[in-house]
Amino acid sequence: MNVKFLTKIEELLGPFSAKLRKHPNLTFVVFGLLLCLVALLPHLGLMNFGTMSIIAYITIYAVTALGLNILLGFSGLISLGTAGFVGAGALGTAVFIEMGLPFELAVVLVLTISGSIGALIGLFSLKVEGIYLAIATLFVGEILRQIYTQVPIFGGNSIQIDGGIKLLGFIELSQIFKEQRSMLFVLLVIIMVLMMIAMNNIIKSKTGRALLAMSRSEHAAQAMGISLLKYRLTAFVLATLFATVGGIMYAMYFQTIPTTSWSLDLSLFIIAMVVVGGFKSIYGTFLGAFIIHGIPNLILKDLLGDISYIFSGVLIILVIIFYPNGFVYIWVDIKKGYSKLKKRLQKDVTTDGK
Amino acid sequence: MESKKTILELNKVSMHFGGLTAVDELSLDVKEGEIVGLIGPNGAGKTTVFNCVTQFYKEYTGDIYFQNHDGDQVDLRDYKVTDIAKLGLIRTFQNVELVKDLSILDNLLIGAHHHYETGIIQHILHTKKARSEEKRMKEKAYEILKFLKIYEIKDFYVAGQPYGILKKIEIARTLMSDPKLIILDEPAAGLNDQETDELETLIHQIRENYHTTILLIEHDMGFVMNICDRVCAINFGKFLAMDIPKNIQKNPSVQEAYLGKDE
Repeated sequence: MNVKFLTKIEELLGPFSAKLRKHPNLTFVVFGLLLCLVALLPHLGLMNFGTMSIIAYITIYAVTALGLNILLGFSGLISLGTAGFVGAGALGTAVFIEMGLPFELAVVLVLTISGSIGALIGLFSLKVEGIYLAIATLFVGEILRQIYTQVPIFGGNSIQIDGGIKLLGFIELSQIFKEQRSMLFVLLVIIMVLMMIAMNNIIKSKTGRALLAMSRSEHAAQAMGISLLKYRLTAFVLATLFATVGGIMYAMYFQTIPTTSWSLDLSLFIIAMVVVGGFKSIYGTFLGAFIIHGIPNLILKDLLGDISYIFSGVLIILVIIFYPNGFVYIWVDIKKGYSKLKKRLQKDVTTDGK
Repeated sequence: MESKKTILELNKVSMHFGGLTAVDELSLDVKEGEIVGLIGPNGAGKTTVFNCVTQFYKEYTGDIYFQNHDGDQVDLRDYKVTDIAKLGLIRTFQNVELVKDLSILDNLLIGAHHHYETGIIQHILHTKKARSEEKRMKEKAYEILKFLKIYEIKDFYVAGQPYGILKKIEIARTLMSDPKLIILDEPAAGLNDQETDELETLIHQIRENYHTTILLIEHDMGFVMNICDRVCAINFGKFLAMDIPKNIQKNPSVQEAYLGKDE
């Protein structure tokens, strides 16, 4: 490897990266396209379908964690009830479809219901702060979990969407058939990319700035005309909507939805994804989902079997020690390392020339 | 001066915290285009006055009137704290209150918050209207940044900037809201002599270029006496005197408040 090689690569990628820098949303599309390739791999025999499902989980968690990042990263608020809303999205969609409603209507209904609950929590958050808010949302999640396991409408241990998801009334996609499962995977990636773009547009707009202003100094925010009521509500409604979309994605892909798995552990895992991946970073959130869910299940499990979770725990602690602001900041170090390497190679060239 | 309109008028304003009277029947007025200083020893109630005017405290008695953009007198009590900026009344804080993990430019855009007309749906969809509005606000911010000579560092984070720059950013943010009256809470605190001189010229320029009125609290007496058209002195929340700087310096009750009484 030498400098010429590196500069050649830079020249090749130059116009491409300039274009991406100009349109940041395009990077999400490129990212999504690359991820879509995963849908092909099992058909070529390069990957098993179980692995694809784990990556599907990662997209679901990434969307959910993006919503939580709006609370934790931007608004300085916390929610321990995230899992409840993922469950609402997944179970709600299934129940409404089983009632005979079309998929699209079910989605709209589920989003409206959990959005309203989110708004109520937002109102509540004006009265309670910090650890008290955490406890309050913990019990919101707990109430939702109890509802899912106790109310007979959710069908005991799990609820199944018979015959798959019917899009626009005529495209039927069922988890049973392999080709359709890949289609569903592509659909999840598309939804995730759309949610990433939506998130990016929100945080780069007046709303994102207002949320940050509110969390850093309430007084200054108010003096600038930022209403705490409005933006607390916005933050919680957005967070619950993202979580609910995560749940809807779960229902779409797995089509068999357990009633018991929407507990506090999941909420905590999603918080961990935000913390490990990176506050306020969209790619960081995906990276967090990958580290927390992907690494133990994709890599370590094959290597180490059941004790893999111990290692993933240690790994997460290491990440937090070395990248306290999120693992996404490794990118800064990579860039630094690259320019250092380039300088050294250049030096070699000049000394060789002498 | 007499012919000019009154932009802010306090009429027997009092504010109590439990048994403590922080502001005691204070009356003062600020005329359009003036630079007025509010002085007093520590704990005299200066910041409390500002908090009453900007409606952070609602429990005051008496009346505070403000002349809005249309030239009408309005009772500020009728407005919520978040609506004050829209009226054209904007303030800075004693301890600089900026968003440290946003760029300087973004911090300025927060100052224009209430000027935005597009909503979150339009922002998510990135509509043409939302984009052009954002662009318009940015151009306005560029102008202000150039005026304050901090345009070159507009994309840097606020965190890590020297104190003098932070103070400038906060002033720049107030300008984003098209203010009629800017309330500055100790603008020169923590600045060195050169920066203080710079601030003096800057405040004069702001008045000329942006046609604003300025009300400020400051402990640096040299600064206050140089810059202000009129100075209002208070002690223990009570009005002592309001006059041109030269007369305030000679006023026996002001001297007594600062230096104590001759026995």
